[in-house]
Amino acid sequence: MNHLPKEVKKIMINGNISRTEIGLNRRSLLIWTLVLVFVILIYLGSFAFMGNLDFVEMIEGFPDELIAGLGMSPAMFGDVNLYHGGMVMLYGLLLASIYAMMLAGGMISRDVDLGTVEFLYTRPLSRTVIMLSKVFSFLVMIIFLWITAYLVSAAMGMFWVAPGEYDLDAQFMVHLMGFLACLAAGGIAFAFAPLINRVQGSTSLAIGLGFFFFILNSVASMYEQLEFLRFLSIHYYADLSGAAGGNPFLTGMIVLPVIFIAGVVAGTVLLNRKEFPA
Amino acid sequence: MYAVETTQLTKYYGKTRGIVEVSMAVREGEVFGFIGPNGAGKTTTIRLLLNLLKPSSGEAKLFGKKIPLSGGKLYRRVGYVPSEVNYYPEMTGRELIEYARGFYTVSNNQWIEELVDRLQFDPDKKIRTYSHGNLKKLGIIQALLHKPQLLILDEPGTGLDPLIRMEMFKILEELNRFGVTVFFSTHILEEVERVCHRIAMIKEGSMTYVGPVDELPGRDLRVVILKFADREASEVALGKLGQAEEISSRPGYYRVLSSLPVNELVARLARFNLDHLRITDPSLEEIFFDLYEPSAKGGQKNND
Repeated sequence: MNHLPKEVKKIMINGNISRTEIGLNRRSLLIWTLVLVFVILIYLGSFAFMGNLDFVEMIEGFPDELIAGLGMSPAMFGDVNLYHGGMVMLYGLLLASIYAMMLAGGMISRDVDLGTVEFLYTRPLSRTVIMLSKVFSFLVMIIFLWITAYLVSAAMGMFWVAPGEYDLDAQFMVHLMGFLACLAAGGIAFAFAPLINRVQGSTSLAIGLGFFFFILNSVASMYEQLEFLRFLSIHYYADLSGAAGGNPFLTGMIVLPVIFIAGVVAGTVLLNRKEFPA
Repeated sequence: MYAVETTQLTKYYGKTRGIVEVSMAVREGEVFGFIGPNGAGKTTTIRLLLNLLKPSSGEAKLFGKKIPLSGGKLYRRVGYVPSEVNYYPEMTGRELIEYARGFYTVSNNQWIEELVDRLQFDPDKKIRTYSHGNLKKLGIIQALLHKPQLLILDEPGTGLDPLIRMEMFKILEELNRFGVTVFFSTHILEEVERVCHRIAMIKEGSMTYVGPVDELPGRDLRVVILKFADREASEVALGKLGQAEEISSRPGYYRVLSSLPVNELVARLARFNLDHLRITDPSLEEIFFDLYEPSAKGGQKNND
């Protein structure tokens, strides 16, 4: 690595921190991955029941605004790809985005909360390196979460729920957009985390923001006058239904990583300015 | 070059005073004690040196480089033991040591094992199960494992039993013989008297003294413990010896803090009929309390 320019070296990650962060968060990663897998198993496994005519007729009886608000459409119940992308993963993304924000926020707040700031922030590293090392472990864990979700969904869809109908390419895009939305959620949490000194605080913020984005998108879908609100929700940019229908939202593919990068940059600036009184 | 240097270093937390215009210079290879009561500003000063806090004004330097240090690489030469030691509760002591070691190039285990052995530390337990004393031992090990050139220790003896505390100071003295600078804060004055070359005293955020332990103002005083055979003579006699008070736990016994030269003091004492007499040098603690009396004047005395 000696050949790298000074500027690049300065912003490199520290493998020691990244490995340790993954170790410290592995239990929560496994729990949340199992929760997501469980949601996929239950919801995707219910596709046959959801697709029966009585249920579809019942849904058609609901007001259009409510159907839209719940992220449903009658067409979903006849197409496993739309159903999985537009409905199952909509709730999957709600859970995963909450987890992503809890993970990212907790990584930064924990050191202040536990008092390990005096251990970590007095090492021969810049705070930028500490932040980027934590961001790297966040990336690894979120990739693991979404790869697992994709593989479990694919296995269920192809071999059990709808053999021959499950579209791997479209579902790849659904999971990719979900992953990008989680990155954006994590970026937002990284931006806020240096302002929060307790893990409990960052967890509360993660849950609050997760539901806020979800509800905002639902409300914006229900009322035309409030449609502008969807621009404030990561769910809008993820557009899982569009991805499931083979039409991923290209603007979202750009906006979500930009939110992530902007969040990480803002968080790094704040962390560099932060003071740690006793 | 100085290992630690502060110039007019000031820190306010909003309107609350942290430290005010603290100036000191710790030479390389020196054992420097930083003493003061709780809330005097010791930890604030240390946190400013470690870039955990930003100064309101003034500056601090480590090895001649102004803090904040670009990239923090200079902290490779620094080991730090906080007063309150907190680590990741689910790790074992050994995992924490390995984590700390990963930040430096430490080629062999021998030194780490020696530290573990000498401090009688069991590294294979979960951190959450450690007592305060064991956490302190772990704090010392992680600070020393990379053999730093500067050790910053915030109340290092707190929580350790006397034997381990003695062993820790032996380790520090050994390291100091190899040129390691030791900067430590404490309010246990016995520790200062035993190992420090120079000290700085801080009171209500301001320095009151920087210099050798032996030249501390008040070091030339004598503490006289005495009991008069004739109690009635005592009032007259005490006024001629110095500042006196009766020892509450021993009726009839007086403690006199005298600034008289030894010969003069002995000559005056010889005039009285005494049942008990003991003359000692004042401990640092006695001087410390004398300086910290509410009536004591502030202002820095620099005997550097």
